[in-house]
Amino acid sequence: MISDVLAKMQAAAENPQALKERYLAEGRKIVLTAPVYTPAEIIHSMGLVPMGAWGGDTQLNAAKKYYPAFLCAIIQSITELGMRGVYDGVSAILVPSLCDSLKVLGENWKYAVPEIPFIPMTYPQNRKPEYALDFTVAGYRRVIRDLEQITGSSFSEERLKESMALYNEHNALMRQVSAELAAHPEITAAERSAIFKSAWFLCREEHCGLCRELLDELKNSSAGTEKKIPVAVTGILADAPGLLKILDENGLQIVADDVAAESRQYRTDSVIGEDALYSLARKFSARNCCSVLYDPEKKRVEALVKTAKAAGARGVLMILTKFCDPEEFDYPLIRRACTAAGLPFVSIETDRQMENHEQAATIIETFRDMMED
Amino acid sequence: MSEEVRKPRPAPDPASAKYKLNMIAKQAYDDVAEAKKRGELIGWCASNFPVEIPETLGLHVCYPENQAAGIAARGGGERMCSIAEGMGYSNDICAYARISLAYASGAEAEEQPMPLPDYVLCCSNICSCMIKWYENLSRELQIPMIMIDIPFNPDYEVSDAETAYIRNQFLDAIAQLEKITGKKWSWDRYQEVMEISGRTSRAWLAATAMARYVPSPFNGFDLLNHMAVMVTARGKPEAAEAMETLLKEYEENHNKGISTYRGEEQHRIMFEGIACWPWLRVTSRGLRDRGINMVTTIYADAFGFIYEDFDGMCRAYAKVPNAINLEYARDKRIRLCQDNHVEGLLVHTNRSCKLWSGFMNEMSRQIGAACEIPVVSFDGDQADPRNFSEAQYDTRVQGLTEIMQSRKEA
Ligand code: SF4
Ligand code: SF4
Repeated sequence: MISDVLAKMQAAAENPQALKERYLAEGRKIVLTAPVYTPAEIIHSMGLVPMGAWGGDTQLNAAKKYYPAFLCAIIQSITELGMRGVYDGVSAILVPSLCDSLKVLGENWKYAVPEIPFIPMTYPQNRKPEYALDFTVAGYRRVIRDLEQITGSSFSEERLKESMALYNEHNALMRQVSAELAAHPEITAAERSAIFKSAWFLCREEHCGLCRELLDELKNSSAGTEKKIPVAVTGILADAPGLLKILDENGLQIVADDVAAESRQYRTDSVIGEDALYSLARKFSARNCCSVLYDPEKKRVEALVKTAKAAGARGVLMILTKFCDPEEFDYPLIRRACTAAGLPFVSIETDRQMENHEQAATIIETFRDMMED
Repeated sequence: MSEEVRKPRPAPDPASAKYKLNMIAKQAYDDVAEAKKRGELIGWCASNFPVEIPETLGLHVCYPENQAAGIAARGGGERMCSIAEGMGYSNDICAYARISLAYASGAEAEEQPMPLPDYVLCCSNICSCMIKWYENLSRELQIPMIMIDIPFNPDYEVSDAETAYIRNQFLDAIAQLEKITGKKWSWDRYQEVMEISGRTSRAWLAATAMARYVPSPFNGFDLLNHMAVMVTARGKPEAAEAMETLLKEYEENHNKGISTYRGEEQHRIMFEGIACWPWLRVTSRGLRDRGINMVTTIYADAFGFIYEDFDGMCRAYAKVPNAINLEYARDKRIRLCQDNHVEGLLVHTNRSCKLWSGFMNEMSRQIGAACEIPVVSFDGDQADPRNFSEAQYDTRVQGLTEIMQSRKEA
């Protein structure tokens, strides 16, 4: 039973290309959303389909014309896929300015993939004061203007409120799924990843439906008897198949995550008030505990330890995207905090092109031994 | 900023711009050290944080990027970077940040000591990396962080919404600093600082624009040394005076037909990127040996902080290099190349700076095409000596020279 729903999610996660073709065949327009946060609700409310673009495990060739080697593989592979025509047919790409590499992605995109218009979303990093909301809203208005021009769709505050409500519902479902999965060691790390990854490609209504089915089935099935070691994972991405396989082979179960492409997306809801755009801006300003958001007290570090402990994780695994400044600055503090809290901690560096599986396997084996002691 | 290590020379003339500028840079460190000894609160300040704020409030601040460049130029870059790596910082992180975080953790740096801060002033207009670096300083030293966020502008013009966002943050920063330091903001004093800063900036722009003459009355490497004063001290009267002296000297050089560039200026290039501080001598010699004068860099344009009012200041800080889009950044450079009769572009692909190097490939291609000049790049790093290869630099510069030569002969 569970495998039916999971199979659908896995299919979506593994083949976004097919979904893209399906949406286009249905006459729907697609807007790509780059990492880490974008106002996807706006895109959705205008009747367009937002699809995540987080790059892919691919060799970088064409993109080398634009990037020196020391930029993260996420932005490089997004560009590579764009240049190769993988995104052909989509209407635009929305890129937020949340890290230096994302700023660079937008600038290069204009020349590397001129047939897909680049829409910038400039967020305030000083996002807490009231005046920052005005700036966020100005950014949204610019996105709306560009989307209207490019796609011919129109915007309405009322429809945005509906989309925000749907996204809130999806947030809640994803949080429940994540919590429920902790009680189900029989779900593999690869399957868990597919649940999160498919959310980037399937339209929200459809993913909500699948999450509901999945939750029903999980609640009604007895947990597997397998003994796995519960761990928490942190980082930008945690979807590399090779790495997930190693986690599964070593009997590790992800019981909580602080991954940018996974749970960080679903922590913050919109409080829908009178003014839809301001409500959405408040959602952004309420976001916390993330490496690409200004965090002088480094709340992210303590929050991670707390989340890991609350979920009963016996250790923390940091999946470090190579050349990712935001995460690399947090790494020493996370390592120290985990160690101080008595949580075994290891990190694995990943690169979207290829992985050093052997090294990763050795690190994970050591990690397992640390937790079994 | 650092000085190239050279053989002993006759004592410099105290009336010369070079002497004055070096003294201002040195004095800045001494003043902060003394303030700290007196028990005053001192700050660490990001290079493109609006200097008008600390200057008007009369705060004592020093500049970690400047310190890191000094340490790197005097040979301490690798040692400090390694210490940071030992603390867990990846060697992919900006070397200025690594050096600074190592220093903040207690590592000694004889090359350029400075007191530890009681607060940090961060401005994100040159990169988001700066936010992460200062967050870590603030958290590790348990001191307040004042952050002015000036986002990267994807458009050509600075919007009203952005100006308002920056203005509000400036006012917030002032209020926070008044609270932390007990000092009071004065609009009259601000007016004075703004005027002095404008005076310094005008002299700088005029001095760097002297490169329009062939031969140029100065060696462009001078600019790398003098820009520290532009960054950190342009609101001080002595800085305005020193820059005016510099302009006068360049004018005199031009009239006399001499230059601070030693040798015959055979080729004129623009240098793109931050200097390779650990290899300053090597990079400078590689040009000089081939009769190349680096006549301009984006710094020539970058410190033209001339504005009329507070909002003008907000917009000026949103137009610094690294805060502007490819087209605007490109057009500024094209203008510099054209105004200064540049014959080639030498690009430093700086491992430390993702934002600066990240779209440089495309931008330099466009500059090369628009100005019909050859473009050559080399790999390096502003402060970590391990990311530079002398042999590669030499080959690339030689290649550039040959193209420029053959174009002249054609
Ligand atoms: S947050 Fe990190 S991984 Fe994501 S785009 Fe920025 S540098 Fe790359
Ligand atoms: S060198 Fe680049 S990354 Fe480093 S502080 Fe300067 S602008 Fe930021």
